Amino acid sequence: MKEQHNLLLWKAVFVLVLIGLGFGIYASSKSIDYTWRWERIPQYIISVEPKDIRSPFDGTVQSVDIKNHSMVVLPDQGGNPFVIKKFDKANVMSGDIVFEGDPLAQVNGWRVGPILWGLITTLKLSFVALIFAMIIGLFTGLARISDNPALRYFAITYVEIIRGTPLLVQIFIFYFFIGTILNLDRFTAGVAALSVFTGAYIAEIIRSGIQSIHPGQMEAARSVGMNYFQAMVYVILPQAFKRTLPPLAGQLINLIKDSSLVSVISITDLTKSGREVVSSTFAPFEVWFTVALMYLVLTGSLSWIIQKLEKRLSASD
Amino acid sequence: MTKVSSNSIIVAENIEKIYPNNCHALKNVSLEVKRGEVVVIIGPSGSGKSTFLRTLNQLETISDGTIHIDDIDLTAKSTNINKMREEVGMVFQSFNLFPHKTALGNVMLSPLKVLKKSKADAEKEAHELLTKVGLANRMNSYPSHLSGGQQQRVAIARALAMKPKIMLFDEPTSALDPEMVGEVLDVMKSLASDGMTMVVVTHEMGFAREVADRVVFMEDGELVFEEQPDRFFDSPNPRLQRFLGQVL
Ligand SMILES: Nc1ncnc2c1ncn2[C@@H]1O[C@H](COP(=O)(O)OP(=O)(O)O)[C@@H](O)[C@H]1O
Ligand SMILES: [Mg+2]
Repeated sequence: MKEQHNLLLWKAVFVLVLIGLGFGIYASSKSIDYTWRWERIPQYIISVEPKDIRSPFDGTVQSVDIKNHSMVVLPDQGGNPFVIKKFDKANVMSGDIVFEGDPLAQVNGWRVGPILWGLITTLKLSFVALIFAMIIGLFTGLARISDNPALRYFAITYVEIIRGTPLLVQIFIFYFFIGTILNLDRFTAGVAALSVFTGAYIAEIIRSGIQSIHPGQMEAARSVGMNYFQAMVYVILPQAFKRTLPPLAGQLINLIKDSSLVSVISITDLTKSGREVVSSTFAPFEVWFTVALMYLVLTGSLSWIIQKLEKRLSASD
Repeated sequence: MTKVSSNSIIVAENIEKIYPNNCHALKNVSLEVKRGEVVVIIGPSGSGKSTFLRTLNQLETISDGTIHIDDIDLTAKSTNINKMREEVGMVFQSFNLFPHKTALGNVMLSPLKVLKKSKADAEKEAHELLTKVGLANRMNSYPSHLSGGQQQRVAIARALAMKPKIMLFDEPTSALDPEMVGEVLDVMKSLASDGMTMVVVTHEMGFAREVADRVVFMEDGELVFEEQPDRFFDSPNPRLQRFLGQVL
């Protein structure tokens, strides 16, 4: 009973300290005259503002059909008319002269805001990089322990180069050098840099995982007629995978966080859209807290999935 | 090529094994085993018993000499070692069960993946084998939930699932608690009485006396001496008597 009492006490201490910290942040922002404007943030996540449809050229409004919510604009220079099939509010009338960029009409409805776009981009970037990093890591890890010296040296060289240079520099090299030679777009260059970087670390994790499996496992597999490949796939790797799941999870979480660095090559990921939103809201504290929370949601979900997987694999323990 | 008498299923001639660290583990070892014969190998630790057994299914390559299994030359380039290993089952001192598979999964794995049997067939045969080794009620247990004796019996069933012509046992009871030795030896005895060709490294002299057709004594990488069990233990060979004096 007493022990439970103590536990409760310490939990209360934890909560109190958190509240204290929150208050501290609030108080210190007061001391620098910061005005919190949380209400500005949601629209940058999901925007419900009507969106303008603008004229693509100088021209004349030929017709506005109020009933069907459609409109036709003819260009002064001739050519195809600009047709709006669906709008919610018209800003112009039939016969109006409009210039390029003039708002013609508005449409309602919710749209994905820049922060959510950033989140989606980060998710896509991390997911694709994760798949490639696992593939690269698996093959490099296998090459690292191969009997073939050429394979072994290639693997070692790759791993050492990647681990010995900063990711930021690798991203620049992938974008400006390799990207230019192979004509890669930003996203591909970013994915490639992240995959190659993370792959090197995963290779080491997989190598040590395989080497931690008792050699008797390989012998037993070979003694029942399996070839090297079958023994790897059905006996060694499943065991190694289970053993490497915790460090692998750490590496994949790092991948999500490292993906923020690709904003330097102008990929509008979560971090870059955060920067953009800050410059249009002048609410840096709110934006960066929101961005941090979104990264936490991503990394937290990944850790949760991996924990589930670990639990399922622990049936044989 | 040597002419091989067709009733010898294993013919090992003048085997030399030198490990990369220059350890000379086998020195001019020759042994013939007939179909259905049970040969027991005894000898002090480090005498090359395991090494010799492992050369018979090429888990260890040999430095010199020839090995024929069922008239097939193991050292020939054209020999498919994986195919040959299907015919030579092996049971290890430390069981080496696949820990991520159940007892049933351990036995079925190779028939499924190597022999490409259907799941139904593989499962039916695995059931029969596990029943035969007395584990009908532990089919779905993982190795970590089985006793040493049970694990070793699963390992025997796993080897048998490939329908081998020869079974090699490397000290199958040495890692077991004494009360479990009997259950494993019983399975081995019943296998022997079914006519399986067996080469067994063991310190169980009782098993050697009772089941072996021939007992072989190894020391220092040499095959010192071989004899039928009734005469073997009474042999005046001084090296053998010194060894028996130590273990008995
Ligand atoms: N993989 C290996 N590399 C180098 N030396 C080995 C290896 N395996 C065994 N040996 C050596 O070979 C000799 C015979 O070993 P082993 O066949 O295991 O003997 P036994 O099974 O009779 O105890 C020993 O001296 C041992 O140290
Ligand atoms: Mg041994």
